[in-house]
Amino acid sequence: MAVAAVHSGGIADHIHPEPQGFIRKYVFSIDHKIIGIQYMITAGIFMLLAGALAEMIRAQLMRANGGFMTPDTFNTVFTMHGSTMVWLVIIPLLTGGFGNLVMPVQIGARDVAFPWLNMIAFWIFPVSGLMLYSSFLMGAPAAGWTEYPPMSLQGAPGTSMWCAAIFLVGVGSTMTGMNFLVTILKMRAPGMTFTRMPLFVWGQFVTAPLLMIATTALGAALAALFVQREFGVPFFDPTKGGSPLLWQHMFWFYSHPAVYIMILPAFGMISEIFPTFGRKPIFGYKMIAFSSCAIAILGFMVWAHHMFTSGMAPQLQLPFMVLTMLIAIPTGVKIFSWMATLWGGVLTFSTAMLYSVGFLALFTLGGITGVFLAAVPFDLHAHGTYFIVAHFHYVIAGGSLMGALAGLYFWFPKMTGRMLNETWGKWSFWLYFIGMNGTFLPMHWLGLWGMPRRIAVYDPQFQTWNQIESVFSLVMTAGIILTFVNVLVSMKRGKKSGHNPWDARTLEWQIPSPMPYYNFKHIPSVFATPYDFAEPLPYRGLEEELTDSPPPVPAAH
Amino acid sequence: MRLDRGFWTATAVLTVLALIVIFWWVYAPITAIMPEAVDKAAQIDALYRFLAASGSALFVYVVGYIVYFCVAFRRRSSHAADAIGVQIHDSHKLEFWWTLFPFLFVVGLAIISVRIFYGIEPINMPSNSLVVEGLGHQWYYTFRYPGINGEVKQLHLPLNQQVTLHVSSYDVIHSFWVPDMRLKVDMVPGLVNTLTFTPTRTGRYNIVCTEFCGTLHGDMRSGTPNDKAYLFIDTPAQYKSWYDSQQKANANASNEIAVASSSSINLTGGDVAAGKAMFQTKCSACHAVAPFEQKIVGPGLKGVLHDPSHPNLVDGEKATPEDVAKILQNGFSGPLGVMPNQTANGISDKDIANLVAYLNSLK
Repeated sequence: MAVAAVHSGGIADHIHPEPQGFIRKYVFSIDHKIIGIQYMITAGIFMLLAGALAEMIRAQLMRANGGFMTPDTFNTVFTMHGSTMVWLVIIPLLTGGFGNLVMPVQIGARDVAFPWLNMIAFWIFPVSGLMLYSSFLMGAPAAGWTEYPPMSLQGAPGTSMWCAAIFLVGVGSTMTGMNFLVTILKMRAPGMTFTRMPLFVWGQFVTAPLLMIATTALGAALAALFVQREFGVPFFDPTKGGSPLLWQHMFWFYSHPAVYIMILPAFGMISEIFPTFGRKPIFGYKMIAFSSCAIAILGFMVWAHHMFTSGMAPQLQLPFMVLTMLIAIPTGVKIFSWMATLWGGVLTFSTAMLYSVGFLALFTLGGITGVFLAAVPFDLHAHGTYFIVAHFHYVIAGGSLMGALAGLYFWFPKMTGRMLNETWGKWSFWLYFIGMNGTFLPMHWLGLWGMPRRIAVYDPQFQTWNQIESVFSLVMTAGIILTFVNVLVSMKRGKKSGHNPWDARTLEWQIPSPMPYYNFKHIPSVFATPYDFAEPLPYRGLEEELTDSPPPVPAAH
Repeated sequence: MRLDRGFWTATAVLTVLALIVIFWWVYAPITAIMPEAVDKAAQIDALYRFLAASGSALFVYVVGYIVYFCVAFRRRSSHAADAIGVQIHDSHKLEFWWTLFPFLFVVGLAIISVRIFYGIEPINMPSNSLVVEGLGHQWYYTFRYPGINGEVKQLHLPLNQQVTLHVSSYDVIHSFWVPDMRLKVDMVPGLVNTLTFTPTRTGRYNIVCTEFCGTLHGDMRSGTPNDKAYLFIDTPAQYKSWYDSQQKANANASNEIAVASSSSINLTGGDVAAGKAMFQTKCSACHAVAPFEQKIVGPGLKGVLHDPSHPNLVDGEKATPEDVAKILQNGFSGPLGVMPNQTANGISDKDIANLVAYLNSLK
């Protein structure tokens, strides 16, 4: 395959011998597929922890005048819930997890550009997670996942550990971003032009620069907070010439793009799932791809909409308000395109499809309330209340996490060669969907009626609704646990899936399941987008992938 | 395949539903649940009605179509195993319209929001308003009134009198939110943030903190024990009697952050030009020559002795050249920050006289 060698710069066609032994193969692996699964398992464990913390929050809020935890314990619990879900679950799951597992195969590569960097980036993640949880031993952080100073300056010693742990996790994210960007730019199979890439690859391609650029701002902010806490350099101390608002600007310069880091890969996932289960091309491929770019660019220009009440110059609020509202346009284009993809299809409601449709409905609600909050006058009322909690849980639990669950049910056969149980899967969807709405929908009106967020005790007039939410949160958790059980059982006992159970058309489904170490015996060439169901597959050079022909010979050293 | 009867039927049903939710949000009895206590609340409620009506209608259409498509285009037993959907890739006409439609919506929303924004933001400070200061503590509020010594625990405001509320904090970031005012502002140490409004409805209203401030954040609201603050909107007569009683009760109260008594400095013969040069060397790192609200560390000092909206200095005493001199001599420590005293700043009595003359010349 001389062509492949030329197009891939000689990297993709250069095969190393498969590592032998458990440690090299499954622990310190440099195989993107194993690393992807490692990310998913680690993120899954942290998700169980964060879910337990979430249920502690809901248990506390069963009673208005104080539940079973002291306020200080409650404060550490919601802080760790938020920090875990953002940095140790959603971001690693969607980028390091699904990105690693699927993206290199979808572009027809044998691995990512920098496999060793990939391994290092992964191992930073569980280490920093353990560091974060070790802060419980020294007094856990308790100022919310945003850790605004001066509150975070008063925090227990564990707050410094929080800084260090999140800094490290950010280093890993930055590595992953760079790795993915180079991989997608340099290692696509011959003929895989930008307008032929699967949309999941587009999602990762747009996310990668966000990871690289935004995370560095977070690193600077965390370093400053750490230095002030440990060495007293007064970055955020107004009595010595610092400013508490400096943190908010730096933090949100990362954390607003981080919202898109958490949603763009999920956009990519459902853009794969709708065509597959609708047997119909994605509607408006280019608009979906380019609107992701528009969202990513605009995402860097709107951070101060988190700070409308904090004392910015009023005139400065207007550009941030208008730019934030503009994001509704590319987002709307995406939602309409997905709806048009459903129209006229032959829709099979597998679990992956159910989660994707659920994503579409719930993300839409989260997006609409996002436009509400962009309007400064409304934000003056809603900022810092449970309305905000409702809004971002609809985006993250209804959007990102439902996307990840859709992806799990979709790609699990590719990881293991076995199907997840579809009946349990559908139960898990309905439990999650109903529980999710029952938990977070009432928070909209609770917030508008006057219930602030991050409170261990609250006005007794809100107790009934909070109890309803707590009950539904158990339903939601049951859905999640059912998926975990499904994974554990199906891993060993699931029905054999074959290489392509969904009759999907992207490259990863054209090779055996689980995917072999080298991915492709021969690097294929690509001559169209993967979404034309009336046409034959747009690939050449895949004839031997499913046969018994010998795997490629490793290059001699 | 074209849009069929089912699609238009669904569209008709969804349009009826959308009209119902729009109708609901236009006429929803918001004020029955939450009264509008100040003038600006009505504008924010109007914006909310617009957002909720358009947002709900959009949501009805999106979810309605999703449900309809899922039912209408589900795989049926009559489908062959290898049946495929309609092979369309895009429609530039459709894409043009569904880009233009959100664009127009956003433009409309931006225009409405900006208009309301200029109606409620304190961009131009009213000159004849009652100036009150609100201060956040872990975990309670206090308020300072012109003419009342010290700090009081409750916020009383007279009906139909324009109010300028300056807020700041002693420790961490708090916020001042009265849900019935629909207004909130953060209390940030080192910053003075401002709300302006006119109370329009008498009554007692809850004050709530919405910026996480530590252990008792959830307790930092009205209705909890320990004498937590409420906003009382009084008739002018009620307000007058409350104000008089507070003035009397606090007559002997010391200002918590008052400066020590000072020996008087001879201010005669202060040189404006020398004071200006001294200001640029010693003061301009922390104070701007700008209105009070433009802080660097301390407040802006333009017109400090001539600003009717700030009759008192930060020490709570009436703004006079003597009082400015006293602060320069003793330094100042308050919620905004710390200003070093005369010795630490390295300025002479003559420098103080020059500085006061310069500040007095700023109008």
